[in-house]
Amino acid sequence: MGASSTTPKVPPPDATITRSIHLKLRAHLNQIADQTKTSKGLNHDVAELLMTGGDIGLMEAEDEMEKTWKVDQDQIVRSVGIDAAAQRREWKLDGGPYRSRYTRNGRHLAIAGKHGHVAAFDWRVGTLHMELQLRETLRDITFLQDQSHIAVAQRRHVFIYDQSGVELHRLSSHVDVNRLEYLPYHWLLVSIGNAGYLKYTDTSTGTLVTEQRTKLGACNTIAQNIHNAVIYLGHQNGTVTLRTPNLPTPAVTLLAHLGPVTSISVDPSSGSGGRYMATGGADGKVKVWDCRNWKGCVREWVPRSQGGVGIELEWSQKGILGVSSGGGVNCTPPTIRNEHSGQPPVYMTHAIPHRPLTSLRFCPFTDVLTIAGEPNFDSSEADPFENSKARREREVRALLDKIQPDLIALTDNFVGKLAPQKSALPEEVMTEGVPMYSRLSRVDRLKASRKADEDAEVEGGVEVEVEVEVEGKAPLTSAGGEKKEKLKQRGKGKSLKRYLRKKRKNVIDPSIIAIRAKIAAQKQSRKEATTDRAPSALDRFSKSR
Amino acid sequence: MHPFAKARERVRALNAAKIERMFAKPFLASLEGHIDGVNVVVRKAHSLAVVASASADGEIIIHDLPQRKHLLRLPTAHKRSVTGICFADSDRLLSCGVDQTVKMWDVRTSLDEDGSGDLGENSLPADGSKPLTVFHGKTAFNAIDHHRESSLFATASNCVHIWDETKSSPVMNLNFPTSTETITALKFNLSETSVLASTGSDRTFTLYDVRTGKAERRLVFQMRANALAWSPTLPTSILLASEDHNLYTFDVRSLTSPTQIYKGHVAAVMSCDWSPTGTEFVSGGWDRTLRIWNEGDGRGSEAYHTKRMQRVFSTIYTGDARFVLSGSDDGNLRLWKAHASEKLGIIGGRERAAREYRTKLREKWKYDPEVGKIERRRHMPKSIYNTSKLKQTMLDAQRVKEERRRKHSRAGETKPKAERRKVVVAEQT
Repeated sequence: MGASSTTPKVPPPDATITRSIHLKLRAHLNQIADQTKTSKGLNHDVAELLMTGGDIGLMEAEDEMEKTWKVDQDQIVRSVGIDAAAQRREWKLDGGPYRSRYTRNGRHLAIAGKHGHVAAFDWRVGTLHMELQLRETLRDITFLQDQSHIAVAQRRHVFIYDQSGVELHRLSSHVDVNRLEYLPYHWLLVSIGNAGYLKYTDTSTGTLVTEQRTKLGACNTIAQNIHNAVIYLGHQNGTVTLRTPNLPTPAVTLLAHLGPVTSISVDPSSGSGGRYMATGGADGKVKVWDCRNWKGCVREWVPRSQGGVGIELEWSQKGILGVSSGGGVNCTPPTIRNEHSGQPPVYMTHAIPHRPLTSLRFCPFTDVLTIAGEPNFDSSEADPFENSKARREREVRALLDKIQPDLIALTDNFVGKLAPQKSALPEEVMTEGVPMYSRLSRVDRLKASRKADEDAEVEGGVEVEVEVEVEGKAPLTSAGGEKKEKLKQRGKGKSLKRYLRKKRKNVIDPSIIAIRAKIAAQKQSRKEATTDRAPSALDRFSKSR
Repeated sequence: MHPFAKARERVRALNAAKIERMFAKPFLASLEGHIDGVNVVVRKAHSLAVVASASADGEIIIHDLPQRKHLLRLPTAHKRSVTGICFADSDRLLSCGVDQTVKMWDVRTSLDEDGSGDLGENSLPADGSKPLTVFHGKTAFNAIDHHRESSLFATASNCVHIWDETKSSPVMNLNFPTSTETITALKFNLSETSVLASTGSDRTFTLYDVRTGKAERRLVFQMRANALAWSPTLPTSILLASEDHNLYTFDVRSLTSPTQIYKGHVAAVMSCDWSPTGTEFVSGGWDRTLRIWNEGDGRGSEAYHTKRMQRVFSTIYTGDARFVLSGSDDGNLRLWKAHASEKLGIIGGRERAAREYRTKLREKWKYDPEVGKIERRRHMPKSIYNTSKLKQTMLDAQRVKEERRRKHSRAGETKPKAERRKVVVAEQT
């Protein structure tokens, strides 16, 4: 015990880089890896000290007879602390149905009623920032970088208002928008509408980044994956498409439901890393999908419907899935991602009869729908208690840290990874300054000048091709990447011999030596193959005899 | 909890690299006064403010760096060029020149107790233009260095002379047997104070021991070394500035090959000096740039240049390792920051933390293509840019020729020789 504590910790061999790269580079990379490992350990220690991660504050049943879903809202309010109890609110408003949205720190709430009522307020303290009666149809609302800007999808265009309700911009390029989404780390406002055009607007510069035609008609279901900023669209024909601004076509297309998709939500919890997606369809089904493996849904079930309204879904930050179908909300525990079977257990339920639900949002950090909460949040990320100076400071910092839209991709972790080893390519040869051409081998030179005999290369094995394994390769993305198998007689190695014949005899370099050795080996193996064979009646005709 | 942590960190690193380049304004001041090229600059030990410089017209000036003024001028210290100066102790300066004399000057009266005083008109020494002592030699002197502890000093001419301050003729002549070369530079080791190193015009580097009075080792290079400097923190490490555009660090315990080759200059390197921390050093070159290097990093040097600066003959670090001085052929002594984007003045705690964070980010992300490009790319004067391109072409041609030669000779007959094995031609004892 004592000995183990005094001996220095040796990093496991898999953590160190042992490939034969430059010595000092290797030492530096190993040092960085060590530092990363140490800081990870320290983070883990801090997390343990603060007791984050493990218990997320769910209700627990004491015995098998007790059920958490039997506890109703009044009981909860009576038993929890004053602060948490005060968070249960109900505003009865006319002019619905309403769409709602929280800010990232969970402090502010914006609502937009279908008949033109917009309001934004600090819902904990109860201060109203703005209230507008726009007298036209409103379809969606979202906060931009923080509570100071609000985008509203109105009858014809998208408008941006500031905190006090002053109209700042009219985005005339966004026409007939049904749904809005905001990517906070890229400062992109995403909209989709009746015409089926997905539009990305950079809200820091005001430029339209891309415009993609989905060709799938009107769309009113959109969700973002907070971990990789991929936009998930649900379409009228039951497909779900995954979109990034740098690809004109969907990264993934998935037939999720028979009939229109009514709701999508992607798991934002930090443990899953955006792995799970839930979809609700007009066919009355809720399906949970694994975004790394699109073979089929992980789980599907039919929630009890209490009215003719479509299913609405929302994952909380703690992994609780809220499902509203008509007149009530059911919450399923985070375990539905692990246990693969049909109908999930119900964690909580809350019936709201006669008032069909059209929008469902969990408040960040305190999952108010479920009283589960995150006690240890990082205030540098999103601070519910920030003052105006902190807000201004954070806005500038977030703007400095704005990520370029090109970096949005399905695999979110490619930044900072070692680049795959490049083979000699023409553009690499042409790099100015260093004439790499002179450093290339003969085969690479031929390749670079596009004179290479590809068959000879493949068969002769002069060049060893490095296979780069593509992680999470979707079947749709691999277009034209496969090589066609050629039906050639193997083992003759004619091209090798031709290569040797054409080569000048006095030039001896490693590739020639390797080829000679290979030919000799082939000859030897052929000879052995003939000798090992059982004697046949046809042997009398063979030449070697 | 932290989506896009890596991507955001990369953006921050990118911004940090850009900020670093935006604030990179290294030039601080030009100290004027000499009317010919500045041959040599030395700093006074234990003083941050006082440096002495000597020029090719025979003038010696003692400067006060913070006030940017002259503490003392000796306009005709030597006839013709002064080739070397060094402080004997805090109040005496030794100088040597091509007029075959070594002179000892009293510079005490010009300095205050802390060595950074103002020189008033009335505090001029009475015999300010008269040396305390004059030592006569038989040939022109090329360099001078004082022993760290005793009253010995060494001069470089056709051989190494060891002098005593109290005696009028050399107490010792150090010479490698059978050598007929001219010694161009010499330096005493800073901790093994009796060890002396010199470079010679015969492409040699020689190590002497004053106690035995003999030359212990000698190396012959491909091309001659112009200057040398002992590391202040690592007594076995010595830096050589070579005529072949490179700098070399050697470990004197094994002299067969350099521990590191530093490439970057596009002309001969004329001078070099270590930072007092021993982690960086500065070099001045015939290519009109001075460069700042990290010890052990043979490529990434920071090059400083101005439009008016000519061939850089002398470079030193200041005692706090924050500034660099260069004396060049145009007669100016220039003061530079050692770290180009360092902010001078008071830095608050939060700003310091932010700077440290940015430095760490740049360090971590320097292998990212975009960050690395910003980190590496420097705008150089057209002449240097063209010269380096030409040099690269020539080196490539040489390498290709060598590869072809090897390819057309019998397999295994000639092996490629590592670059650092090519440096030393012969090692003699």
